[in-house]
Amino acid sequence: MGENKGLLDPAYYTNRELSWLLFNKRVLSESRDKQIPLFERLKFLSISASNLDEFFMVRIGSLVDMVNAKYTKKDIAGLSPREQLEMLSGKLHDFVSLQYSTYNRMLLPQLRANGLIFVERHEDLTPEQGKYVDGYFEETVYPVLTPMAVDSSRPFPLIRNRSLNIGALLAKKGAKQEKKGKAGKEELDFATVQVPSVLPRVVRIPGSGKKEEEGVTVILLEEIIERNISRLFLNYDVLCAHPFRITRNADLAIDEDEVEDLLKEIEKQIKKRSWGQTIRLELEEGADKRLIRFLRKELGVEESDIFFAEGPLDLTFLMKVYALEGFEAHKTPRYTPQPVPELDGEGSVFDKIKKGDILLHHPYQTFEPVVDFIRQASRDPDVLAIKQTLYRVSGNSPIISALAQAADNGKQVSVLVELKARFDEENNILWAKKLEQAGCHVIYGLVGLKTHSKITLVVRREEDGIRRYVHLGTGNYNDATAKLYTDIGLMTANEAIGEDATAVFNMLSGYSEPPSWNRLSLAPLWLKDRFLSLIGREARNAREGKGGRIVAKMNSLCDQDVIAALYEASRAGVQIDLIVRGICCLKVGVPGVSETIRVRSIVGNFLEHARIFYFENNGTPEYYCSSADWMPRNLERRVEILFPVEDPRLQEKLKHILAGQLKDNMKAHVLQPDGSYEKVDRRGKEPYSAQDAFCREAAEEGSRREEIRDTRLFVPRAHVEE
Amino acid sequence: MAGMKTFAAIDVGSYEQTLKIFTISKAAGIRQVDCISNRLDLGTDTYLTGKLGHEKMEDLCQVLRGFVSVMAGYKVDDHKAYGTSAIREIQNTDIVLDQIAQRTGVRIEVLGNSEQRFLDYKSIASRGESFTKIIEKGTVILDIGGGSIQCSLFDKDKLSATCNLRLGVLRLQERLHRLNVRPSRYPQLLEEMLSSQFSVLRKLYLKDRQIENVIVVDDYISALICRKLSTVPEGGYIDSASFYSFLDFVNAHTDGEIARRFDMPEENAPLLRISAAIVRQMAMLCNAKFIWAPGVTLCDGIAYEYAEKHRLITPAHDFEQDILTCVRGISKRYMGSRRRAETLEQIALTIFDSTKKIHGLGKRERLLLRIAALLHDCGKYISLMNLAECSYAIIMATEIIGLSQTEREIVANVVKYNHMDFDYEMERAEGGSMEREEFLTVAKLTAILQISNALDRSHKQKCKDVRAALKDEQLILTVDTAADLTLEKGLFSRRADFFEEVYSVRPVIRQKRML
Repeated sequence: MGENKGLLDPAYYTNRELSWLLFNKRVLSESRDKQIPLFERLKFLSISASNLDEFFMVRIGSLVDMVNAKYTKKDIAGLSPREQLEMLSGKLHDFVSLQYSTYNRMLLPQLRANGLIFVERHEDLTPEQGKYVDGYFEETVYPVLTPMAVDSSRPFPLIRNRSLNIGALLAKKGAKQEKKGKAGKEELDFATVQVPSVLPRVVRIPGSGKKEEEGVTVILLEEIIERNISRLFLNYDVLCAHPFRITRNADLAIDEDEVEDLLKEIEKQIKKRSWGQTIRLELEEGADKRLIRFLRKELGVEESDIFFAEGPLDLTFLMKVYALEGFEAHKTPRYTPQPVPELDGEGSVFDKIKKGDILLHHPYQTFEPVVDFIRQASRDPDVLAIKQTLYRVSGNSPIISALAQAADNGKQVSVLVELKARFDEENNILWAKKLEQAGCHVIYGLVGLKTHSKITLVVRREEDGIRRYVHLGTGNYNDATAKLYTDIGLMTANEAIGEDATAVFNMLSGYSEPPSWNRLSLAPLWLKDRFLSLIGREARNAREGKGGRIVAKMNSLCDQDVIAALYEASRAGVQIDLIVRGICCLKVGVPGVSETIRVRSIVGNFLEHARIFYFENNGTPEYYCSSADWMPRNLERRVEILFPVEDPRLQEKLKHILAGQLKDNMKAHVLQPDGSYEKVDRRGKEPYSAQDAFCREAAEEGSRREEIRDTRLFVPRAHVEE
Repeated sequence: MAGMKTFAAIDVGSYEQTLKIFTISKAAGIRQVDCISNRLDLGTDTYLTGKLGHEKMEDLCQVLRGFVSVMAGYKVDDHKAYGTSAIREIQNTDIVLDQIAQRTGVRIEVLGNSEQRFLDYKSIASRGESFTKIIEKGTVILDIGGGSIQCSLFDKDKLSATCNLRLGVLRLQERLHRLNVRPSRYPQLLEEMLSSQFSVLRKLYLKDRQIENVIVVDDYISALICRKLSTVPEGGYIDSASFYSFLDFVNAHTDGEIARRFDMPEENAPLLRISAAIVRQMAMLCNAKFIWAPGVTLCDGIAYEYAEKHRLITPAHDFEQDILTCVRGISKRYMGSRRRAETLEQIALTIFDSTKKIHGLGKRERLLLRIAALLHDCGKYISLMNLAECSYAIIMATEIIGLSQTEREIVANVVKYNHMDFDYEMERAEGGSMEREEFLTVAKLTAILQISNALDRSHKQKCKDVRAALKDEQLILTVDTAADLTLEKGLFSRRADFFEEVYSVRPVIRQKRML
């Protein structure tokens, strides 16, 4: 790739954190979109807030770590960690301002107008309401509060990561004069109490009785506590009390070569996580200066790490508001994933797969067949073995119970459980142990690599020999998120893929890699090169005048080698359309570099999650799906799988999905040469939302099948069609 | 599912241990279901010290236990495990293998080189029609191992010769490393190393035979030919021109580039280069048009052998004929008389077949008897005086494809005692490598060969048409000939004594004069 040298110029790349922030802005912009039902907008604001929490914990956290370690290596866009932090600080403050202005100026008035009244300050409660909340405090809240005071004998307590707390400054009753310090200053005590996470944060209270405030009235739990704070510190005067919240560095960098027992180490890490360095302090706007000073000193945060909120802290509570009953008119009707026609009806799932490959498009189509695939395998007397990789599963996963059941039925069940799935370790350890107890062979991840691939293999002994059934996916085996994430799954009995799948599990069990692969490409060994060579082939074709075209859909694009290859292809004249939901470090429209590349991002009701790749290949198109994004972590530090979709019928479906997303002019944002994203100019065009269209199509397809079944009549063709 | 067996074949190789799972049925033949390999270097230890260290053994047990668990997953009906050179080299094999069996439940059997090669060969033949078709033309099989290469030559669809060259990939790699030159010179050096030995091969065996195809079995290049290089849709075939240009690519690129280009493990690249160079050298030497990599390994041969033994498949190829053709080749090399050998073979088989009731030997021993008959006089090439010892020495020093070490020993002894008095102490004299069972086989076969020999004492094929029948404690050998049998009859009685001793049956000659 010698020619690419010039293409590695930092000027051609966007910093990934910056690009991420732009993504979160797109999420936030959904909450500002008046076309969207009001309660859906609450949800987007909530998502933008929880995204931001994670961003602080992981990304800002690791940048802080780098600065602390005096690491100065520049990123893809030529910025050192310190420069990145400096650049981000202002933008993050602006972002938070935008969140609160959305909340205050757009959402609150609308909620009030539509019958949801927020009592923002406990001071605004009517006497009746006040009585009610005091009763609630007494009965329900008070018993679970643990106030903690700080003085010379009691050190500053541990404040848990992301917990909401109320900090207060106290003065001993009637001792104001004596407590004056040498400098003539008041000597104050600090006390803190955590807003209990076991109680609902949104508390429904009786209405004010005013006509204009009819409907549902709510107040936040911290306001109720604040109102009653003096009852916690009976011998003190409470001078001020304000909610505060901290975010800690959560970066999990375990050196796997050095730990003997990975499991124990992660358990330790989780416990440690609450102690991570504080990287953000959130406070109410107008909080008492003395309190701020005290917290800053105790938590060791910089001025720029303090974020003042013009409203309630931690906007993720809006998800709870979304769940309030009685506002269905302001929500998008809940979509029911549709049955998959090929898998409908009587008969075993294996017979159906044997008839031909089956493509699943979630959440438009239900995830149930995947669960059912494992469930049937667990009971089928001919099934010998079930092997699966699990990354993140739902709380009460039917897949886990099916696997345990299979082991109980004497099947050989091997499960690779990825313990390193971010923030999910605790959960994962729990059910991994459960599986082990059931008699499954559990592999707790690979040393040095995260197993992100989604693959299931069922080995079955049939009349004519041993047959393999494989499910490959772009999303996790999680029946809960499969209702919200758009993903592609492939079910196949193709021998070549089956053989590769067996090899994948043999490798995951520590055996040698096969001499070569039939169809699948694996990261971290071959995947990146495969992508580079596929992109390179398009470039070659374009140079030879055969034309070239790439359409790729993924969550993030930030691998420099891949981007440089795309630039190279663009130079050669390849037409490139990228559908990148999140981070995109590639720049479009750079003269002589990326003039033929277009990037769009779709942020909709469902989380875009599928990775689909199309390469024109001089008239013999190739389609692939994968668990991997074009990110270094996916291509170099994870076990990922790229699988081809070869059946022309299924290729047609993928083609349709990609075309739909490229046609979208409702939810798509298009990356501009200046690095910003703008919604598609819809003038003179039919409004088209790909997600909505896919919902409709799946429903149509599902019902069409039912019609056919309902008739129960065979319709002979009258004549042969030409 | 009736009639379908799930079978596991384990190859305990010197550098890699492989488990293959097969389903075998009459209807669907042999189908590979899974292949698991594990890298564990046993060779370095045993080649150097003749022992398998405690740690290595523990590692090996660990690997085998893993295999056992996979086998349990497939609910295999049967399994077979073979150890090759690294296991062969262990001094106290029996003890070590017993310990392994105790710990893992896997009983490893030791495979001699010629048996191993024969299994490899069977694995190729297991590819059925492709194989039958390809060997219609002159064909060379290159079975490339770590330490040596087995070259087998096909002529008119029969194996006609086979020889072992110490040019295995690991051996060559080690030699290259010792030369201490830059890797870019390797291709040329390899060519030199190979060409000297290959030209000997050419003089000895190829002569002016027309060779069209090269069949290659190895751990590196075969898989690549099968999956990536094939110029024919069915896979595994590549014309030599394309293969040569592939090698040019290989020589011009780094290991990493090759690994990436062909989706293969980078660590395999250095040995792939050597393997590919061997194939090219051979293809060029005999001007072959096609290269076929059936993509089989020892495990496939183990499965084939199992299937054959349990009558789950009908062999399309007569392997016994291959062994016999090779043996005839050996006999020819030592100036054996073909006509005499054939007469002897015929007489011996007639006797063998009509005395089944009293010897209780099987098909395999019958083959050994034929081989002994064919090689009965090979020692005379060296010395007519020491015929017995020389024949014995030649047979022991010649690899006979398809025969185990023990079987070869049986043949050598039978030939030896055909010429001298039977030595009842021989099992102890030979270092006790022979079991009681095998000792008896030697005695039984020797007795038959001796009287057969006596019947053709004059080497004039007088008794070619002999009939044999058991009757009243006697073996009546009826000879239809007008020739004078004085010589034969005269020498017969001493041989008959030994026969009687072994079988408690007295052989008697009856001459029916042809008119």
